[in-house]
Amino acid sequence: MPSQPRDLRLDFFRGVALIFIFIDHIPENVASYFTLQAVQFFDAAEVFIFISGYTAALVYGRTLAVQGATYATAQALRRAWQLYVAHIFLFVMFIAEVSYIATTFKNPMYNDEMRVADFLDEPHMAIVQALLLQFQPTFLDILPLYILLLAVFPVMLIGLRFHPVMVLVLSLLLYVIVQVTNISVPAYPEGHVWYFNPFAWQFLFAAGAALGLGTLRARWLRPGGVLTAMALGIAGAGLVVKLSWTIHGIWDPFPGLFLKELWPVNKNNLSPIRLAPFFATVVLAAALVSPSAGFLGAPVAKPVILCGQQSLEVFCLGILLSALGHFALTEYDSSIGIQLAVNAAGIFALCMTAKMIDWYKTMGRVAPTVPVPGPGKGISPR
Amino acid sequence: MKHRLAGGLLERGFHLVVGALTVAAIVPPAFGGVQCKVPSELTRIEDRLPHLNERLRAGGPVKIVAIGGASTTGAAAGSPELAYPHRLQEVLGRWYPNIPVTVVNKGVPRQTAQQMLERFPSDVIAEDPVLVIWETGTTDAVRGVEIEDLAAALQSGIDELKTRSIDIMLIDMQFSRSTVTVIDFERYLNTLHRVGDVNDVYVFPRFEMMRYWSEQNVFNFDGVSKEERASLAASVYECIGRKLAEAIRAAIE
Repeated sequence: MPSQPRDLRLDFFRGVALIFIFIDHIPENVASYFTLQAVQFFDAAEVFIFISGYTAALVYGRTLAVQGATYATAQALRRAWQLYVAHIFLFVMFIAEVSYIATTFKNPMYNDEMRVADFLDEPHMAIVQALLLQFQPTFLDILPLYILLLAVFPVMLIGLRFHPVMVLVLSLLLYVIVQVTNISVPAYPEGHVWYFNPFAWQFLFAAGAALGLGTLRARWLRPGGVLTAMALGIAGAGLVVKLSWTIHGIWDPFPGLFLKELWPVNKNNLSPIRLAPFFATVVLAAALVSPSAGFLGAPVAKPVILCGQQSLEVFCLGILLSALGHFALTEYDSSIGIQLAVNAAGIFALCMTAKMIDWYKTMGRVAPTVPVPGPGKGISPR
Repeated sequence: MKHRLAGGLLERGFHLVVGALTVAAIVPPAFGGVQCKVPSELTRIEDRLPHLNERLRAGGPVKIVAIGGASTTGAAAGSPELAYPHRLQEVLGRWYPNIPVTVVNKGVPRQTAQQMLERFPSDVIAEDPVLVIWETGTTDAVRGVEIEDLAAALQSGIDELKTRSIDIMLIDMQFSRSTVTVIDFERYLNTLHRVGDVNDVYVFPRFEMMRYWSEQNVFNFDGVSKEERASLAASVYECIGRKLAEAIRAAIE
């Protein structure tokens, strides 16, 4: 392993993104007023995909350099397989929930609503389509994107290693084609499309990977540069406008700036209105937060960093916990106190899980220091 | 420590619900044997219905088209007379006895906003109404239609009616604890309300009202027995019709 220390900023920001994803996935949650999407046009999904691209390039790029392309490919595909299994697990939980509700809740007032369970009429299709990643129920839509991106990542990685500019230009071109022609990937049932359009979102992943691989050294990412000033302008404008929308949503007399002109901002195709402030924020974060920033060593940052390091498990658990939290809020009480308690309990569970997994992996890595008793030295194995 | 805190809050929430149940049980019914009360913030209305107002002042006749999905057809209650459009007509008829008021029911189940929009020429414009009530968004949420497509369909419908000097009101989705756990309504509700907001079109908050009735146990949408289903639907539609009439009256005052 190279001696370069781990960049804790990546883990920290990915940890924050995972916690935000958990919070945002609980509908009508008061805590979601304090996540990224309340103050910026982009949300935690962009952060998650970008950092995932960045770290994928770090990890598999190192393998590519040391052990070669075949092993790097195998590693990336193994990770994609893990994600795939996790996705199918979450899907089974979802099926259990929907089929339970569809069979117990038979109120004809909700005939239109119960169409959500239509796929139960043809389980053979639904399950095959889920295995093909074509059936993506609510909130189960970001993992299919991530799986697909990792599956094609070896090609992207080798390309970025030898022709970084060409790969980035091709990736950007595909993104632009999506913006112009609106092409999308069809999904199941008929008429649906992939919620996260992979043709658009691949650009974010590729951009993250290019920076992570370091073939494009970002020398211009220094505080005080023209780029930083521009980034400050774009991110600042995004902040002011989006915050005005959020306040307008809570308190109607407050004006929502450019609401008529800009809303709705397309998430499926990763609208440039989302992408520009995101890149601006990345520039600002890279320029202003140094890898040795003091807060990264603070005790409060530790659990967040651990969440970012165990991203797959924390992400999946977060999806389950949001569903559980939503269930608790609708079934019992949704007062603000309970909402805050549900958020706190969920974040606590995510952090404890990350800590536990970290402990387990650390134990597995540490070689036993106690010598194994040799033959003739007391206890015989027989 | 954290666990005990969460437990305490949950318990308190439970007591609140029980308290509300008790209150709901002793408050006498307010309307036709049905309790339709909602908090005042759910009946606030700032948008106006100028063309309807003008028509009423001129002495009518008033024709309203209600276009929507299964809950507009009212099939769950057993007869179109028990659906909310007919209830609305009854109430308005009582309030304006000298003006002929008709509410035409154009509910068709399982349609997205876009599919309803395609019915506008035949089902809405051809009827020559002065007000259109558009109940929509449910099928869009169920099918996971792209937010932009829903917003665009709503915008086209509103523009079409506005250029023809027809007033418009939107109605958002129905609530039940069971459906909200499996359908992502939030984004679609927000879209409906935001489209209403930028166009100064009133969105009738059916979702919030039904949630309130469910929380206060005025109506129990989730544990209803087979025999009670039709009468529950009829009562809910009656309340929706009544609340719609009140909103319309507030919007023309």
